[in-house]
Amino acid sequence: MNEDTKKKVNERYQRELNKGEFFWPDSIFKDAIVALGLTILLILLATFVGVAGEPKADPSDTSYVPRPEWYFLFLFKFLALYGQIPVIGKIEWLAAVLVPSIGIGLILFLPLLDKNPDRHYTKRTMSLGVMTILVVDIVILTLISNIPTVAPDDATLLIKLSAWLQPYAGLVIPGVAMAALIALAYFAKNTSWQVMAWITGISSVLIIALTVAIMAFAPKVEATETEVAETLVDQIVAGQDLYSIHCVECHGDDGKVTVIEGVEGLEGKEVSPINSRDVLYTVNDASMAEIIAYGRPDSGMNPFGKMYNPEGLSKSEMDNIVIFMRYTWDDRFEAPQIPELFPPLADGEVPSYDVHIAPIVKRYCISCHRAGKDNNNYLMTTYEEILTTGDNVDSNIIAGDENSYLLQVIQEHEILDENGEVIIGVMPPKSVLKPNVVDVFLRWIMNGMPLTAEDAAALFTPPTLEVTPMP
Amino acid sequence: MWKKIFAWLDERLGLNDLQKNLLERPEPKGNWWNTLGSASLFLFILQGATGIFLTVYYTPSPDHAYDSITYIMNDVAFGWLIRGIHHWGATLMVLVVFIHMLRVFVTASYKYPRELTWIIGIGLLIATLGMGFTGYLLPWNQRAFWATTVGTEIAGAVPFIGEFILKALRGGTDLSALTLQRFFSGHIWMLPLVLAGLIGAHLYLIIRHGESHWPTKED
Ligand code: HEM
Repeated sequence: MNEDTKKKVNERYQRELNKGEFFWPDSIFKDAIVALGLTILLILLATFVGVAGEPKADPSDTSYVPRPEWYFLFLFKFLALYGQIPVIGKIEWLAAVLVPSIGIGLILFLPLLDKNPDRHYTKRTMSLGVMTILVVDIVILTLISNIPTVAPDDATLLIKLSAWLQPYAGLVIPGVAMAALIALAYFAKNTSWQVMAWITGISSVLIIALTVAIMAFAPKVEATETEVAETLVDQIVAGQDLYSIHCVECHGDDGKVTVIEGVEGLEGKEVSPINSRDVLYTVNDASMAEIIAYGRPDSGMNPFGKMYNPEGLSKSEMDNIVIFMRYTWDDRFEAPQIPELFPPLADGEVPSYDVHIAPIVKRYCISCHRAGKDNNNYLMTTYEEILTTGDNVDSNIIAGDENSYLLQVIQEHEILDENGEVIIGVMPPKSVLKPNVVDVFLRWIMNGMPLTAEDAAALFTPPTLEVTPMP
Repeated sequence: MWKKIFAWLDERLGLNDLQKNLLERPEPKGNWWNTLGSASLFLFILQGATGIFLTVYYTPSPDHAYDSITYIMNDVAFGWLIRGIHHWGATLMVLVVFIHMLRVFVTASYKYPRELTWIIGIGLLIATLGMGFTGYLLPWNQRAFWATTVGTEIAGAVPFIGEFILKALRGGTDLSALTLQRFFSGHIWMLPLVLAGLIGAHLYLIIRHGESHWPTKED
């Protein structure tokens, strides 16, 4: 830039200053209002949206689908789309390193590359156009970042279309439009700014239209929300549920077992009672979680972590089991008030599967009544399974019948066949359900096994009140 | 009385000069788009303040990071608010800095004599994104762990020196306690210092050249 132009720029600026304002109080005032607005916005976000819970990091859980911070999503999508290009798509560093580096280089040295001293938008349509298309592209790549880039072969036509359009919206149209703007600026210097603006506008509208189509045709994904126990009470309850499923068989519901009984392959094994001070005082939380994860091969303790079994327990789940053990058996810890497993029943109230049976079954039955265990094929992990599985499905649960097998065995009556052989032993095999739990099962089956709380409420017969006449 | 104290201080600190040169600077007529730079600065300070509070409880080790965050959220008085502001503040800062850059681009304020202001600004943008990247790992949850695994893998794709960068970022071949310690150090020491230094230079240049005026047909 020559001295003349510099002088002109400076003189022009001086003229603007003369009819301008002052930093204090004019600018500062606006700045302060914006700062106040941002503060209020952040307090509202922190209070009403909060920070979503996530399970603890689990290096062995390789099935987890990584999601970067939202402002890097566009780069991820760009990489995914670029990977679709034949031949050069396979050279990863081209897109992962070279393109971003060139991008950063261009924008870093922009003031040195762009020597044109003009500032009004009509004289800078090329750079403004390229920037507009770039920003539109970044926004739409972010928007479509979680829509699959490749549709499976058996997908519907629309889903295939949704995948097929992506490279056009994300790479081809922006690329061609930018190239056109740059070519016009260098080879057709007297192109009017309106032409450039039209190219920018039309290509942006095209990109946005394709994006709308991509998003409309995208396969619907159900948001899978992982529930994360965040408060201590939730963690203890989650830990107890997991303990009841995975650990009771060997360690008993109170952790006292010293000789394992009735577990295939581990019959007669001696174990340390895990509710004892010997164990709780000498093993810290981290080691305890590791014993659960890696097992103790010599003593028969199975490994439960994901490194042995993709279906295994996650880090957070194992931590919760440890928390449950501490607050239940370790006398150095004082447990908070734990809510009841199910809400107590009033006279005449009918329990439902959702509110009462499901948590009870999870706590006392699923440990054995799930796939892969010795249980006469009776599975209890869902409402359907409870009603429709098992070798004795016909006599197991009969609406309104007190002689249903299930009701008998939980009340300590074995089921015998005609020769007097036991076909179903008492349940649960090694403990006795509390009377209020048995009562829930009784009322549930006698009233036809309602699924939801509403179904159950419809069956509610309030106890008839004795009306004593006023004297 | 106040007058005397002020006069005494002014004699030593030059408060009147400061006021004339810093606060009562003439500027071209501004508009609301000109507040985005100071909004970025405000968010940087807010992130610093809330971040310092968080380090009181946060522990950068794989065994305790997650639990220390849970503790901040549940048991520390207003811990949820401080973390919530820091969390959303990070998102907002990236957004505001980016829009600030776009406005500077649209008004062509990066041209003579403000070229260096822009170049330093890009340094600020990269450092801000770096803050986001390093901060993301600190809660040591699933999302953090796997996003960082993939993010550092991309750095590993650089030809020839990729392997080195990957190991330097992770402190080994895999993500480990070392990675967390490194990211923590980067997030609370290195990058904030870089940011503070660059912001200082950025502001010096802005005061030196003055805010640019909104371009008109004349420009
Ligand atoms: C942490 C990040 C940043 C902070 C704290 C910051 C701060 C500021 C402040 C306070 C101003 C004066 C008010 C205004 O014009 O808005 C300003 C102006 C400016 N900033 Fe930034 N900025 C940041 C990032 C950036 C980025 C990413 C760029 C561009 C690459 C940039 C380029 C500029 C330029 C060229 C000016 C002069 C504008 C003019 O005179 O009209 N800054 N910045």
